Amino acid sequence: MGKYVVKRLVHGLISVVIVIIVVMLLVYGLMNREQIFAEDQNYTRTALNEREVYKYQRWEEFGYVDYVPYSDYLSDLVRSGELDSATRDEVVQIARKAENDEANVAEYVEKFTQYYESQGYTVKRLDAKMDGRKVKTGGRQQLYAYRDRPLLTRALTYFLSVFKVDNIHSVKDDVGERGLTFTWYDPVYGGEKFSPAIIGNGTQHKYLLYFDSNFPFFHQNFLTIQLGKSYTVSRGIDVFDTMTRSQGSFVQSSITFPSGLTELSADDLHSAVYSSGSRASNPVLDARFVDDYANVDTNKNGFSKTGYSFIIGILSTIGAYILGLPLGIAMSRNKDGWFDKLGTIYIIFITSVPSLGYIFMFRAIGSATGLPYEFKMDNPSAAMYVLPIVSLMLPSVGNLMKWMRRYMIDQMNSDYVKFARSGGLSEGEIFYKHIMKNAAIPITHGIPGSLLFAMTGSLITERVYSVPGAGKLLTDSISKYDNGVIVGVTLFFALLSVIAAIMGDVLMAVVDPRINFTNKAR
Amino acid sequence: MEDLKSLGLSDEELFSRIDHSLLESERITAPRYSYWRSVFRVFFRRKLNIVVLSILALVIFMAYVYPTIFGYDQFSNLNDATTKHLSPAAALQRFGPSIRWILGTGSSGNSTFDAVWFGSRISITLAMICTVINMSIGVLVGAIWGFSKKVDIVMIEVRNIIGNVPGVLLISVLVMLFSPSFWTLIFAMTITGWLGVASFIRTQVIIIRDREYNLASKCLGTSTLRIAIKNILPFMTSVIVTLMATEIPSYIGSEVFLSYIGLGISEMSLGKLITENQSAMFVPGWQLEFWSPVFVSSIITIVLFVVGQNLGDASDPRTHM
Repeated sequence: MGKYVVKRLVHGLISVVIVIIVVMLLVYGLMNREQIFAEDQNYTRTALNEREVYKYQRWEEFGYVDYVPYSDYLSDLVRSGELDSATRDEVVQIARKAENDEANVAEYVEKFTQYYESQGYTVKRLDAKMDGRKVKTGGRQQLYAYRDRPLLTRALTYFLSVFKVDNIHSVKDDVGERGLTFTWYDPVYGGEKFSPAIIGNGTQHKYLLYFDSNFPFFHQNFLTIQLGKSYTVSRGIDVFDTMTRSQGSFVQSSITFPSGLTELSADDLHSAVYSSGSRASNPVLDARFVDDYANVDTNKNGFSKTGYSFIIGILSTIGAYILGLPLGIAMSRNKDGWFDKLGTIYIIFITSVPSLGYIFMFRAIGSATGLPYEFKMDNPSAAMYVLPIVSLMLPSVGNLMKWMRRYMIDQMNSDYVKFARSGGLSEGEIFYKHIMKNAAIPITHGIPGSLLFAMTGSLITERVYSVPGAGKLLTDSISKYDNGVIVGVTLFFALLSVIAAIMGDVLMAVVDPRINFTNKAR
Repeated sequence: MEDLKSLGLSDEELFSRIDHSLLESERITAPRYSYWRSVFRVFFRRKLNIVVLSILALVIFMAYVYPTIFGYDQFSNLNDATTKHLSPAAALQRFGPSIRWILGTGSSGNSTFDAVWFGSRISITLAMICTVINMSIGVLVGAIWGFSKKVDIVMIEVRNIIGNVPGVLLISVLVMLFSPSFWTLIFAMTITGWLGVASFIRTQVIIIRDREYNLASKCLGTSTLRIAIKNILPFMTSVIVTLMATEIPSYIGSEVFLSYIGLGISEMSLGKLITENQSAMFVPGWQLEFWSPVFVSSIITIVLFVVGQNLGDASDPRTHM
């Protein structure tokens, strides 16, 4: 069994990799990249050569191209010691037209061109756009190299960056003595309360291991997952953080900062991340912190996006199984009776009416009975979960009823039932001890999937009830060309479906000893 | 025999001799069986089906014939502010009694009733075309997929990969590449849509492929193609019809969904109508503008679903007894 699961997992991971490559092909290859400027204020403000350069800068941010301006190339040369900064300042001044370059400038321009062209870049020089003797606004001369990021390189770098291991050499700046210290008394709690923690210096995160009062109480930052950076939906934040970071309004409490300053603040000191030069540029941070581990998250009163989706999803899934299975069984017991007919009407209704229609219908019914139909994070109540959960539950109830009834009826006609009946077993015994057990086997296959996919949230339900969940993540990122998020969310979904399929098969084999994946005699 | 004897007739008069005839002995005495006639006999035996079918006929009439006869111009009253968002009673009073105004008017003074039927035509046509394309490709590929083990290995991987590419992404990329038109949406919904049908058909083919009668047929030397067409296809008819019954409403549903998330077509389909009138639901007196397209789309999908399901039941030869 273990061997089989590993084999399936490897197989699944390979197909996930291919899925990501296909999605990258779609997103970076087929989508019209000019579209990202459609609502860009800066784009309309710039003109001529500046606009060209701006385009490539943005495209690099969105991950379409690799873009190197001439000045960056020279700075790199200075950093590697091939060039001193005085010469740099001299040769960085390219002339308005290529033929007017001075000799030493032309030499470096030639070097730049050769170096990047040999790597498959296209080198472009835009001559200054003149208006008589004056340079037009945005018409300054430009020199840069660019290339479309090759698909395989892109995929490879992406997969390598998904798991990030924090180490004491992560921070490039001079931070003094690098190393990890273990303490039994976490300084965040004043250094007196017993709470083990590992604190790093030179690592990206300050607290690599700590305990706090939030679920799951034990936290680590050695290994972080990065699914892809967002550029438009939430600037600079990784999708994984967007999904898991808590939302709502700030929860303030009296906090003693490392500098000894005690203030009312919502900062979560455990989340401190190194941010270069933060104290020098911000006097507030300078007063609070003693080192540059000053970039902290804030405590908020709501759950994360995935959190909300998961609460609603998991409760509706559990509810659907609790309701749907007994109803399906009752329908099959009452085959062709009034209850069966009533159930069939419900199933037809829920499977054929567009989901938008019945969700709005339940919203209308719900609000008529006085239930809250809008989600308020600042004023949470149990009642506001009711309508989203019910709306999400109803179609799954119908679906489960349909399949449970089908499987039960299929089993009712099999030979072992006739045999049991001829053996003198009571109808109840046959029904609940024999038929139900067999009919439940295919149902168990879907259970892990529906539990796992409770996390992804549902688009329409969340939008109709204004739930701040994860359901709209994918569609939002598509409409805003947030390529990193699209790829990240796809990876997350694809992994879920691979895991769900394997877990479903394993669970089925556990429930039914006749199913055996190890030696298929086919 | 005793009674006949008492009549006093001779043996010749009681029995007549019939010669052995090769031709006669080959004749089958069972009544003639026509598959499709039996399908319709079983289908129309249920009263409900006649009712549902007549509703379907009415829907098709309203969606296809009514707009062509009476015409529909969404913007004919655009400049007249007094015609916007009228309740049915007010609209009837404003324009005079006509079936056109029984649902009131919409945001541009257009008739809600007409808008709904005009939208229905686009939605039904879209669903039908998608279903025809997906079903024909899906059934064909699924049959080959089920029969060939080599194809199976490849296709399972294809399904695992394409099944995990988010459909919304694929559709939005295609809509962005081309324009958000009717045919683009059809292309987007069918480019991977057939895969689900094919995989369903594949499972069904595998289930009956190795049944005894097919093995026997194979032993007698029947070619695979003939087994597929003569032995398996008739068995599959009911499955295909049942599948079709769920496919058509599902496309109407996905069209509504896609319009809702802003990926719909430019024409005023039912989905677009529902999405555009969403805000009207929260204004007292305007709700009808939202509920009418929802109600009509529900009627269409339910009717198509029930007709399809029952036709699927009727096309199963085992119900023809």
